[in-house]
Amino acid sequence: MTVLRRLRGDRGFLAGAVVALLMVLVAVAAPLLAAAAGQDYTTYHDNLLDSARGGVPLGRFGGLGAEHWLGVEPATGRDLFARVVYGARVSLGVAVGATLLQVLFGVLVGTAAGLGGRWADAALTRVVDLVLAVPSLVLAISLLAIVPTDWPRPLLLAAVIAILGWGGTARITRGETLSLRTRDYVAAARLSGAGRFRIARREIAPGLAAPVLTYAALLLPTNMISEAGLSFLGVGVRPPTPSWGQMLSTATTWFRADPMYVLVPGGLLFLTLLAFVLVANGLRRALDPRQSEVLR
Amino acid sequence: MRRIAPVVMAGTLLLAAGCDGSGGATSSSAAFDPATCQGGTLAVLNQGGISHLDPARLYTSGGGNIPSLLFRTLTTRNRQPGEAGAKPAPDLATDLGTPSDGARTWTYKLRDGIFFEDGTPITSADIKYGIERSFAPELPGGAPYLRDWLQDAADYQGPYKQPEGIKAIETPDDKTIVFKLRKPEGDFPYLATATQFAPVPKAKDKGVGYEAHPISSGPYMVESYQPKKSLALVRNPHWSGKIDSLRYACPDRIEVTSGLDAAVINQRLVSGAGPDADAVTTDAVVGPEQLAQLGNGGPLDKQVARGEFPATYYLAFNTKKAPFDNEKVREAISYAVNRTSVVNALGGSTVAGPSTTFLPPQKTLGHQPYDYFPAGDNGDPAKAKQALADAGVTNLTIELAHENDDSQGLGPKVAAAVQEALKQAGITVKLTAIDAATYRDVTGKPATQPGLSLQYWGADWPSGGPFLIPIFDGRQIIKAGGNFNLAQYDDPAVNAEIDAINALTDQSQAQARWGALDAKIGKLALTVPLAYEKDVYLFGKNVKNAVPDGWRGTYDLARISVK
Repeated sequence: MTVLRRLRGDRGFLAGAVVALLMVLVAVAAPLLAAAAGQDYTTYHDNLLDSARGGVPLGRFGGLGAEHWLGVEPATGRDLFARVVYGARVSLGVAVGATLLQVLFGVLVGTAAGLGGRWADAALTRVVDLVLAVPSLVLAISLLAIVPTDWPRPLLLAAVIAILGWGGTARITRGETLSLRTRDYVAAARLSGAGRFRIARREIAPGLAAPVLTYAALLLPTNMISEAGLSFLGVGVRPPTPSWGQMLSTATTWFRADPMYVLVPGGLLFLTLLAFVLVANGLRRALDPRQSEVLR
Repeated sequence: MRRIAPVVMAGTLLLAAGCDGSGGATSSSAAFDPATCQGGTLAVLNQGGISHLDPARLYTSGGGNIPSLLFRTLTTRNRQPGEAGAKPAPDLATDLGTPSDGARTWTYKLRDGIFFEDGTPITSADIKYGIERSFAPELPGGAPYLRDWLQDAADYQGPYKQPEGIKAIETPDDKTIVFKLRKPEGDFPYLATATQFAPVPKAKDKGVGYEAHPISSGPYMVESYQPKKSLALVRNPHWSGKIDSLRYACPDRIEVTSGLDAAVINQRLVSGAGPDADAVTTDAVVGPEQLAQLGNGGPLDKQVARGEFPATYYLAFNTKKAPFDNEKVREAISYAVNRTSVVNALGGSTVAGPSTTFLPPQKTLGHQPYDYFPAGDNGDPAKAKQALADAGVTNLTIELAHENDDSQGLGPKVAAAVQEALKQAGITVKLTAIDAATYRDVTGKPATQPGLSLQYWGADWPSGGPFLIPIFDGRQIIKAGGNFNLAQYDDPAVNAEIDAINALTDQSQAQARWGALDAKIGKLALTVPLAYEKDVYLFGKNVKNAVPDGWRGTYDLARISVK
């Protein structure tokens, strides 16, 4: 219970958690929110644009008003509120999916390396080194460019980000496993005849939870940046599906003419990233293995 | 008879654009006098690099903007604003050519006092040699018309492999050149503006290496050239304004820098810091950042040239593929498209306008207004649904092919606008993005051509022929690739009419018949015209006489002054 108590006393963590939770809620409830605003993310509103001036929204602050709560997108007139809430789904969904995959993969490979024999360890460690050494952005762009366009893009994005980013988790898990396996309680379990799988499951896994959770919390914002980056570069989700990175990419040509269009997705991305980083840092402080060692 | 792909143009340095002249440059050109405009250095800031400088390899409309500073051709564009500029004018020749044998033979006489940059006189043999080089497979890239038009030249492999040359081009003396065509071509004086008609001295030809320093016949010559990066031009001492009244050649020096981002170019032209005050661009059309500052009487309104290059953005059907073999389905899509959304996706009403005709609205092309599927600018989903019901089609799902980036106006933005409009009519559109570098190869080969694709067609010269022939002439369906008759439409009556109009040398008669032909074919809904192009280019605050010409829609570097 020390962990929870410490988290409750951590203001940074609390603020981050509230914002992060809010964003998750927004993503989950995107259709409801859009319906509440009476808008959807695909309908064009050409009548709200000043076509002669390149299609900037008419009115102040990007056409912000009672009809369109955050204004409309330049050049299309699509409702910006509906697009950012649906965009949250892609940004968060891809990041969460990629993180889960990375943790799953990294923990499996890391524990196998930590508990396996010398040869298994050497081989798996080299594989992890290889994954960490790959220029991931270049490879991600190539992978996403060659797959057929009718494959589900968000799943694909999550998979590609995960495939290129599980190395860190594997390394941390291996290190942690190596240190845990020398503990007295693990030795006791081994002496009493427990097999490797049982040791991994019953003795090692609980000890891994804290560092892996902390690392995963740090991975999540990194993965969000990856998704935004790939969408920004045009290999992310396909139109008309919105994502924050893709919106920012279009917004680069509009940042003077319609600042709202940059500020809304950019601000949300910044806020969400900050929130997740605060959560991760709070978790790390609360769960730090060295500190918990001292306390025990 | 290919379109001038903007890709090609960016790659070879020619910049698309045409003109109306009504906007034009205003106050800054008021004090302009061609007699006293000489001096200074003009900077050209461009996106696309100059990948080739060989006149045989350039694909230009009207001789190009930068190439026309180096190469004089038999004829050239008239370099006037408005409709007057959409006509050819004599350049190296004394007139626009004398047709005979029903426009199957064209005879030109050369001017006196024309020289290369080294002082050698230019002869008709140099022009013949320049054309022959453009047939060499080592020097690809030019417009393909001559190979089609000249007698028995279809298989000619260039002067390196076949030094005997092309028999259909005769040079009875140093001042005369005669072209023998296999069919009547009234548009020959327009084609003779292309850089393939520039003289090349055989003694100086280095084959593929010639473009490192092509021998100039125009007002400037190459000082230094780094392909795709930079080009510096200085005055050609053997060129004289007295025998070239169309090029004013005001700056003493011209420096082209390539590989810049369009937004950066336009921002630099707006700020005009240091040498940027004397700068122009030939390929960076104004972006939304600048459009927001235009038209309100601000200082930027004096630094903008507005023109129109005749070009159409359209949806192309493959009528050999279901469901587009069904005319009612094609009509439904014609009713459903929202041209306002498409125009906005292209950059708004300042840079594009809605179009229901395949020919863009320029009179020189013979444009006749028609709208057989009237749905207003915003589309009419109800009429579209009715057309589908008449066809007995329900739950229609189609695929739309487009380029994977928006720089040529055939990208996801326009595709998404079409997708949304068709959704209103109950048609589900799946978008298929194709890499822009291979887009033409995929759509131009009947075996790989998608059923529906976004397309663009620009005029090789301002006439109806190069607009309609490649798209609707049934004999132009090229199975091997490089096909533009995407409807795969072959009607003997239409083919015969095309031949009849080609034989006309009277442009006003030809215009009327091209327009009537377009209006006739339009009824079949073989394409869905979406929008026509408008061109808005900025220039630096010290630049004078930046008047868009009627042929290309952009200002002419040969007539700009920075003094």
